[in-house]
Amino acid sequence: MTEITEQNKVSEKFVPKPSLPPPPNTTGAIGWLRYNLFDGFLSSCLTVLSLIAIGFMCVNFYEWAFAKAVLEAANRQECRITPTEFGTCWAGVKFWFTRFIYGRYTDTEIWRVNSAAIILILWMIPVWLPRVTAKLNIALSGVLIFPFLAGYMFLGGDRNWFMEIMVSVALGCFITVIIHSLLCLFTGAGISKWIIQLTGFSNRSERLHKFPVIMFAVIIFLLSLFLISDVAFKEMPNNLWGGLFLTLVISGIGIASALPAGILLALGRRSKMTVIRVLCVAFIELFRSVPLITILFMATTMFPLFLPEGFHINKLASAIVAVCLFAAAYMAEVVRGGLQAIPKGQYEAAEAVGLTYWQSMGFIVMPQALKYMIPNIVSNFMGLFKDTTLVSIIGLYDLLGMINAVSQDPSWIGLHHEPLFTAAVIFFIGCFAMSKYSQYLERNLGAGHGR
Amino acid sequence: MNTKTETESNQLQSAASDEVAISMSKVNKWFGNFHVLKDIDLSIYKGERIVICGPSGSGKSTLIRCINRLEEHQDGDISVNGVTLDSNLKNIHAIRSDVGMVFQSFNLFPHLTVLENCTLAPVWVRNMTKTEAQEIAMEYLTRVKIPEQAEKYPGQLSGGQQQRVAIARSLCMNPQIMLFDEPTSALDPEMISEVLDVMIELAETGMTMLVVSHEMGFARRVADRVIFMDYGEIVEQNTPEEFFANPKSDRTKLFLSQILSH
Repeated sequence: MTEITEQNKVSEKFVPKPSLPPPPNTTGAIGWLRYNLFDGFLSSCLTVLSLIAIGFMCVNFYEWAFAKAVLEAANRQECRITPTEFGTCWAGVKFWFTRFIYGRYTDTEIWRVNSAAIILILWMIPVWLPRVTAKLNIALSGVLIFPFLAGYMFLGGDRNWFMEIMVSVALGCFITVIIHSLLCLFTGAGISKWIIQLTGFSNRSERLHKFPVIMFAVIIFLLSLFLISDVAFKEMPNNLWGGLFLTLVISGIGIASALPAGILLALGRRSKMTVIRVLCVAFIELFRSVPLITILFMATTMFPLFLPEGFHINKLASAIVAVCLFAAAYMAEVVRGGLQAIPKGQYEAAEAVGLTYWQSMGFIVMPQALKYMIPNIVSNFMGLFKDTTLVSIIGLYDLLGMINAVSQDPSWIGLHHEPLFTAAVIFFIGCFAMSKYSQYLERNLGAGHGR
Repeated sequence: MNTKTETESNQLQSAASDEVAISMSKVNKWFGNFHVLKDIDLSIYKGERIVICGPSGSGKSTLIRCINRLEEHQDGDISVNGVTLDSNLKNIHAIRSDVGMVFQSFNLFPHLTVLENCTLAPVWVRNMTKTEAQEIAMEYLTRVKIPEQAEKYPGQLSGGQQQRVAIARSLCMNPQIMLFDEPTSALDPEMISEVLDVMIELAETGMTMLVVSHEMGFARRVADRVIFMDYGEIVEQNTPEEFFANPKSDRTKLFLSQILSH
């Protein structure tokens, strides 16, 4: 003790120097400006020029979009602001907006499209609610079974036995999803737990638990079968479908089918079985090497020539098939890229514990690979969403097709820019939302993985 | 338990029976032109504990990977518990679910929690219910002394803990044979003993074990038989006492002098 105190006496006391403020104009807004925009003569000149250009464009855009805007007009001629000059005819967009969204779908039946959209939204919302369980089942049922319900709501007309069953199944699934989500939200236990508890199976063996659940599913199915038995919608042939609605139908089906098809093709391409591998490689390379527009033309004009006489193929159906095949080929390569990022040890470990090929793909490889693939998958989806506008060239009235059609209308002839700007805004909103969602997914799926 | 004790008295009692667990006869394998396994003849009895050592590239990993068909042998016969390994997928799956394997690089599934790593195969391969599988998993996690990590992800564990989870994951399938492919080679020196402790305890239960390892202390202590391989051949096999005291082949002598010189 004494030694230490003696040492303390001789040693100097250390006092840290006070922190001084940084040199002026190096931090904060002024520092940022100096560093990024006015760092030297050249940089300052470029900044000023760019500001002038941006300002010029902003003023012009303001003038076009707002100053010259004509909001009320019955036809294009009324959009003149001076006898020689047309104003910006937002009235035209307003007049045609319903057509841009729904195409030539009969006004009195539009509610069917809207309700299908609302059903899809309600079906999918539980996937994002943290308290809801069995999210994968909900999402899968939404992707696989909802299309039957939507298809019938859009198309209407008579149902054959297959559609009767599928529509009931879809309606039953929807009801179940809603009940399940509400139960999860308010009681914290999912629907199967409730069923097991209410039927008194909770103290029986776990292996018997599936029976009351199956019973419930059958009851719900019969109930929906009964519910739809009197419902008959007016037939709306799909040449009346159009606008954004058609764009969403085509790209929605393309997106929903591209991922599973792409996964199968990618696995096929890596298969050890020669025939499967060669077929997959041929398919992928063929469809990747041909422009989408060519495939669309071939599907709608050439393919029917090969069919037997009197055999008619729906134009929309062949366009959808063409888009799906094209998207699948691209997706296959994205998936293959993701699969290659998975170390060999993961496959070996999965095999070594006795999992079958499909089990190890489904539980071990794909969940990890999909995480790496998200940015690419979403880019692909965005590309597909925008590429569907090409169907306007083969004579389908999607959003772009409707805009072209409107500009030909005698009383609105020459209405081009405003609808195109509207379409650009709509596509931007769609794509930007997808992009933001993919960033959210990346952050969240990576969360629990640690290193 | 002290793994460093290498005295003869600490040697485990042999649990080997007369029943053959694995038999290999005239097994040959090539990687391209490289002849990696040459006429391997080997019988392993139930309850026997075998340590395989040898220089890198000598075919020891390939040998044990042929037993659960992670590698396919091109010539000769391998049978495990009386089931012959051929291209019949059913046989392969049956053998794999009865043969556990622990890898050098752990190969845990990083997207699943420790508990899920342990219950996945019992649920899907053994058709257990989730609760049964979880009970068993917790039992084995307790045996490898990390029950408190069950809800963590593998990436949050140390190397030694990960390897112990990998051992528990294999044990959850209730295997009859365990293969260890250099289980301690990727570990920091401090973590080696915690994994070896678990392996010694496993050996005490009478598990048939094939261990590719250079842990000579472990071999002395646990092995019933030590096998030395080089150039795809079994150069020498003997009891650990004989193997370390009187190696017969000059190649074995050289190998031993190199690894025991430090």
